[in-house]
Amino acid sequence: MKLTPPARSAVHHPHAHDSALKHATGAARYIDDMAEPRGCLHTALVTSRWAHARLTGIDASRALELPGVHAVVTAADIPGENDVGAIVPGEPLLAEGVVEYVGHPVAAVAARDLETARRAAALVEVTAEPLTPVLDLREAVEKAHYVLPPSEFLRGKPGPALADAPHRIRGEIMVGGQDHFYLETQAALALPQEDQDMLVHSGTQHPTEVQHLVARLLGVDMNAVTVEVRRMGGAFGGKESQATIIAGIAAVLARVTGRPVKCRLDRDTDMMVTGKRHDFLLTWDVGVDDDGRVQAVEMTLAARCGWSVDLSPGVVSRALSHADNAYFYPHVKLTGLFCKTNTQSNTAFRGFGGPQGMMAAEAMMDQIARTLNLDPLEVRRRNFYGPEGRNLTPYHQPVEHFRLPEMLDEVLASSDYAARRKAVDAFNAKGGVLRKGLAVSPVKFGVSFNKPEMNQAGALLHVYTDGSVSLNHGGTEMGQGLFTKVAQVVAAVFGLDLDRIRPTATTTGKVPNTSPTAASSGTDLNGMAARIAAETIRDRMADVAAEHLGAEKSAVVFERNMVRAGNKSVPFGELAELCHVARVSLSSTGFYRTPKIHFDRTTNRGRPFFYFAHGLAVSEVAIDTLTGEWKPLRTDILHDVGASLNPAVDKGQIEGGFVQGLGWLTMEELVWDKDGVLKTHAPSTYKIPTARDVPRDLRVDLLADAPNEEATVFRSKAVGEPPFMLAISVWLALRDAVASCGPAGHVPKLDAPATPERILMAVQAAKDTA
Amino acid sequence: MRDAIRFALNGAIRAVDDVPPHMTLLNWLRAEGLTAAKEGCAEGDCGACTVLLGTPLPDGAEGFDWRAVNACLVLVPQVDGRAVVTAEGLAKGGSAPHAAQTLMAETHATQCGYCTPGFVMALAALGRTPARDDESVMDSIAGNLCRCTGYRPILEAARALPLEAPAPEEAALAEKLREIAAAPLDYRAGSHRFLAPTTLDDALRLRQQFPEAWLWAGGTDQGLRVTKQFQVPPGILYLGRVPDLRGITEDKDGLTIAANTPYADALEALAALAPGLDGMIRRIGAAQVRNLGTLGGNIGTASPIGDTLPPLIALDAEITLVSAERGRRTVAARDFVTGYRKTVLDPDELIVAIRIPRPAPGTHIAAYKIAKRVDQDISTVAAAFALKVQDGRVDHARLAYGGVAATPVRAEKAEKALLGQPWTPETVAAVKRAVAEDISPMDDARGTAAYRTAVAANLLDRLWHETAEPGTPARLEAL
Ligand SMILES: Cc1cc2nc3c(=O)[nH]c(=O)nc-3n(C[C@H](O)[C@H](O)[C@H](O)COP(=O)(O)OP(=O)(O)OC[C@H]3O[C@@H](n4cnc5c(N)ncnc54)[C@H](O)[C@@H]3O)c2cc1C
Ligand code: FES
Ligand code: FES
Repeated sequence: MKLTPPARSAVHHPHAHDSALKHATGAARYIDDMAEPRGCLHTALVTSRWAHARLTGIDASRALELPGVHAVVTAADIPGENDVGAIVPGEPLLAEGVVEYVGHPVAAVAARDLETARRAAALVEVTAEPLTPVLDLREAVEKAHYVLPPSEFLRGKPGPALADAPHRIRGEIMVGGQDHFYLETQAALALPQEDQDMLVHSGTQHPTEVQHLVARLLGVDMNAVTVEVRRMGGAFGGKESQATIIAGIAAVLARVTGRPVKCRLDRDTDMMVTGKRHDFLLTWDVGVDDDGRVQAVEMTLAARCGWSVDLSPGVVSRALSHADNAYFYPHVKLTGLFCKTNTQSNTAFRGFGGPQGMMAAEAMMDQIARTLNLDPLEVRRRNFYGPEGRNLTPYHQPVEHFRLPEMLDEVLASSDYAARRKAVDAFNAKGGVLRKGLAVSPVKFGVSFNKPEMNQAGALLHVYTDGSVSLNHGGTEMGQGLFTKVAQVVAAVFGLDLDRIRPTATTTGKVPNTSPTAASSGTDLNGMAARIAAETIRDRMADVAAEHLGAEKSAVVFERNMVRAGNKSVPFGELAELCHVARVSLSSTGFYRTPKIHFDRTTNRGRPFFYFAHGLAVSEVAIDTLTGEWKPLRTDILHDVGASLNPAVDKGQIEGGFVQGLGWLTMEELVWDKDGVLKTHAPSTYKIPTARDVPRDLRVDLLADAPNEEATVFRSKAVGEPPFMLAISVWLALRDAVASCGPAGHVPKLDAPATPERILMAVQAAKDTA
Repeated sequence: MRDAIRFALNGAIRAVDDVPPHMTLLNWLRAEGLTAAKEGCAEGDCGACTVLLGTPLPDGAEGFDWRAVNACLVLVPQVDGRAVVTAEGLAKGGSAPHAAQTLMAETHATQCGYCTPGFVMALAALGRTPARDDESVMDSIAGNLCRCTGYRPILEAARALPLEAPAPEEAALAEKLREIAAAPLDYRAGSHRFLAPTTLDDALRLRQQFPEAWLWAGGTDQGLRVTKQFQVPPGILYLGRVPDLRGITEDKDGLTIAANTPYADALEALAALAPGLDGMIRRIGAAQVRNLGTLGGNIGTASPIGDTLPPLIALDAEITLVSAERGRRTVAARDFVTGYRKTVLDPDELIVAIRIPRPAPGTHIAAYKIAKRVDQDISTVAAAFALKVQDGRVDHARLAYGGVAATPVRAEKAEKALLGQPWTPETVAAVKRAVAEDISPMDDARGTAAYRTAVAANLLDRLWHETAEPGTPARLEAL
C-alpha cells in the first residue's frame, strides 16, 4: 500500500475556506443566528460599578416585578460550585463577597426579550462598601501586589557577567494590552435536556473546559453536559477561558428557569467584562561588547494579570520563553511578575505573552544599537542564535533548524533593503516635517503548548457507504481555516476530492477531553489525529480492496476518488459498500500526542517546543512631526510555514496576524479612568485597523521549499500566532523615524501603542535632546 | 395619512404594523430570520450590519438611489417607502450568488466570516458606482471592520467587482414605493409614535405640537441613544421625507445646503466650493454614516468634536432656522452653539439650511482632522483655517477648532495676532502662543489636553508649510 498525492492535490493547495461562500451569502450560522427554540429567554448582566468593594446587598425585587422577567440569579443561586477558574480555583462566575473590577458580573437576568432583560438589570440594586483598588501596573509592581509568586528562567551567571561587560545598558518600555475585538461578541445558548442534562451551544475555543466548568456550576457529572460549536466569528484567544463565563451564565439561568437561555453580550458589555491581552512593563539590564553582542542580560517582565489568575501562568511563561526572540543570551535571568490590578482578568490573546516577551528583546536590541551608534540590523544579526555553544535558550532547549540567517539574506535582497535604507536616510537628512523610518525584525516562535500534557488531540471519522466522509475532531473553527486544513489532510489520505469530506461541528459528545484550539497548534494536533483515524480506516479498506481486486495489499492505491491495484480499480464509494457487506468497520477514532516535548515547571527547563516557526518583516513608515500621525508605506514579509498545507489560508493568517499586531502596537489603546472604568469599550473609542491602515505595498512570501524537519502533518508548520509579531517591525520603524529627529545616539522614548500622541511626544523629546 | 409601514424587502413589498417605532432595522431583520446582517457594535462603527437602502429617485427619474447604510442605526419606520436589500436577497433570483459574494469567496477574503455579509453589501453598493478609483474603493469599505483578514483580499475583491446595471424590475418597484411614500406616515404602536411629514409646514406644525418628540434626520447621532443608552423615544419626528430639507443650490455668491441633505451629497458640494476641505470631508464617518448622516444633524448635535462646525465657522457660514410661529431667522455659524451641546435653537424651530459664501479669490482654505485612525474616527483635534495673504501680509484670517473646548471655537486672539502681520515663521510662532489662550482642552480617551494643545498650535505650522512651501510634502497623504 502506498500513498500517492491525489490529482487535485488535497494538501499543499490553496483551497477556499470550507464556509467561504456561506459566509458571503449569510448562510453560515453563528450562535445568535440560530433559530431560537420555543420559550427561549434572553440575558442581561448586572455588573460592578466599583473597581474594588465589599458587597453588602443585592436587591432584585424591582427587577422581578417587571413583566417578562423570569429570573435574576446571583452567586447564591448557583446549584453547584461557583467557580470557573481555568487553571487555579477561586474565580467565581458571579461575584461573592467582593467585587474586584468595574464590570465584574454580580447577577444575571433572564427575560422574554433582550430589551426587558436590560431594563430589569438596570433595576437590580447592588450595594457595596468601596475598598481601595490597585489600578496601575507600576503601582502593583512597586507594591509586589501579585496573583501568583514570581517565576524565573535562569541560565549561566548573569550577575558577574553583567559586571564584566564592556557596556551596560538599562532600559524599559510599557507595552499596552489589546482587546480581541472578535467581530462576533461572546455568545452561548443553553438548552435544558431530559434528566439533568444540558446542551450548550457555546462560542468557545475550549469546549471541554466549558463542559467541565458548566458541570461544576450545575453540580452534575461531565457526561450530563454536551458542548457544541460549529464556528466562531473570530476568537483570537478571547474565547478560550472567557467563553466559560457566558456559557456558565446561560447554563445556570437555563437550569433555574427550566427554559432555553441565550446569553449574547453586546459589544460594550463584552469589552467591559471579559479579559484582554496583558499589558507589560518590561525592564532590562544588559551587558554588551563593543560590537553590540550581548554578554549577559537580566530582564523583568511584569504582566498585568488583572483581578484573577485566569491563564496568566501560561501567558507569563510564554512571555519569558520568547524574551530571547531570535537572540542568544550567554548568561540570562528572566523574571516574570504576575501583577494583580482591579481590572478585567487578562487572558489568552494570539501569541499568548510571546509578543510582549519579544518586544523586550527587540526594544533592547534597538537601544543597544542606537546607544553604541551601530546599525540595528547588524546588531540583530550578530546576536542571532548560532551553532552549538550559541544555541541554548534561557529554558535550556537547544535551537535547532534555525532558519533566520538565510531568511534574512533573502528578505533583505527581495525588499531592496540597502538602497531603501539610503533613501530613507537621505529623505530624513532634508529635515522636513515628514520623516521616514525603516526597520527589520525577526520572529522565532516556539510551537506547542508550554504545558506538555495539553499537546494531545482526538478525531472521529466515519466513512458512509456512499463513500462520503464525516469528519470530527477536537479543534474549533474560528476563521483560521482549521476545518478546511484538516479536511484536506483526510482527503489526501483517502485520495478523495475535498468536497467528499464534511467537517462537522465540534462537540464534546464526539471527541472527549480535548485541549483548547490555541497556541497555533490546531492543525498540528487535530490534523495528525484525523490523519491517524483516516489511515486506520484506509488500512481496513485496503484489506477489502486487495481481496476484491485480487491484488496484494501493498499494491493498493487510493487516488482520484478510486482505489486501484495494478490495472484494476473500484470507486471509493463502492469499496465502502463492500466493506460494509464484509462487516468491516468504517469508523475510527484517531489520537495524537506530540513527541519529544517535556518541560519542568519548577526549574523552567526542558524542551517545551516541538519546533520553531520563523518569520521576518521589513517595514517602512512615515511620521508627521507636527501631529504625530503616521502612515505605513511598505512591508515585506518572508514567513516560514514549513510545507504549507494551504498557502491561501496561511497567507491569510500571515496578513491578518500582521495587521492585528500593527493595531496592537500603534492604535489600539485601552484607557481606564481614575476610578478603574474602561473608557474604550466600543469601536467608537477603541480603534482597530481599517483597510487604510494596512501598507498599500504589502508583499508576503512563504519561505519556499522548506518542509518542517520535524514530522508534523505533511511537514507543515503552525501559522496562527507567529505572524502577529512581524508587526514589531512597524513599531521599530516608527522609532527609527522618531530617532531621525534627535542627535546620533538618541534612543527614542516610545511606548506601545505608538499612537499619534506618543509619537509626537517622542519627537518632541528627541528634538529637545538635539 | 397611513399607519402601517410599507417597504420592499429583497424585492417584495412588506407591511409592518407590530413593532415599536424605535426598533432598528437590524433587530427586525434578524428576528425575521434574515441573519446575514450581523451586530458587531450597534453603533455604526463596524459595518457588519450593512444593507442596501434604495430610495426611489425623485419624480421624472426611474429606479432607486442605492446606498449602503448601517441597519443598526436605521429604524424600521425610516425605511417606509424604500427598498432594503440584504445579503440573502442579493443573489439574482435568489439562486446564483452575486458577484460580490463569489469574489469574496474566491479571493480568500473571508476567514471567520462574521464581517463578510457587511463587506458584501458595501461592495454591492460600490458595484453600482460608475466612477471608481482606488481611493473610492478604499472609501467604500472604510466603514467595515475585519479583524481576521488584514483587508488585502477584500480590496482585491472590491477592485475586481464589475459594474452592475439596475435590474429591469427595479423601475416598477420604485414606482410602487414612490406612490406609498407620497402619503405622510403616522405610525403608532402602543404609546409610541413615528411621524413622517412630507412638507416643511407639516413638519413645523408637528414640531410645535409634539416638542418632546425626537427629531430624526439621518439618525446617526439619535440612533445611538436607542442602541447604546437604551432610551425609548416618546415620539419621533422624522425629517427625511421633507423635500425642502434636502438639496443643494449654488449661485455665484455661494452654496445653500438644505439642512438634512445627506453628508455624501453635501460634502461633495462643499469640497467643490472649497477644495481645501476635501481631506477632512472624506474622513467624516465612513460611507454608511455619510449616506445617512446630515449636515443639519451635525450642527444640531452641537458636539464639541463634530467636524463640520469648524469649517463652517472658518467659511463664515450662516444657519437658517425657522418656526411655524415666528418664521425664519439667520445666525452665524460661530454663534449657533452657546455651550456644551447647547444651541440657540428654540424648541419649536428647525434648522432648514446652511448658507456658505464663496471664499474670496486668493483665500487659502484648509481643514485638518487629527485622530488616532485615518478612517471612521472622531477627531482628537479638528481645525479649519481661512487665510488670505495680500502683499506679504495677512489680510483675512479665520481660525476655527473642534475638540479643544466645550464647544467648537473660533480662535479670536490668534486671529488678532495674525491680522496685518507678515506671513512668516515668526508670526506663526506668535500665533501659536495666542492659540493656547483661545482653547481649553481636556483629557479623555482620545488624547490628553497637552497633546491637543500642541497639535492645535502645530497645525498652524502645517498651514504655513502648505502655503509657503507648496512643493514640499507636509502631509502624509502626499506620500
Ligand atoms: C459611526 C459614526 C461615525 C461618525 N463619525 C463622525 C465624524 O467623523 N465626524 C463627525 O462630526 N460626526 C461623526 N458622527 C456623528 C454623526 O454622524 C453626525 O453628527 C451627523 O451629522 C448627524 O446627522 P444626522 O442627520 O444623522 O442627525 P440625527 O441623529 O438625526 O440628529 C442629530 C441631532 O440633530 C438634530 N437635528 C437634526 N436635524 C435637525 C434639523 N433639521 N433642525 C434641528 N435639529 C436637527 C436632532 O434633534 C439631534 O439632536 C459619526 C456617527 C457615527 C454613528
Ligand atoms: S452593528 Fe456595527 S455598524 Fe451596525
Ligand atoms: S473574516 Fe473575521 S472579521 Fe472579517
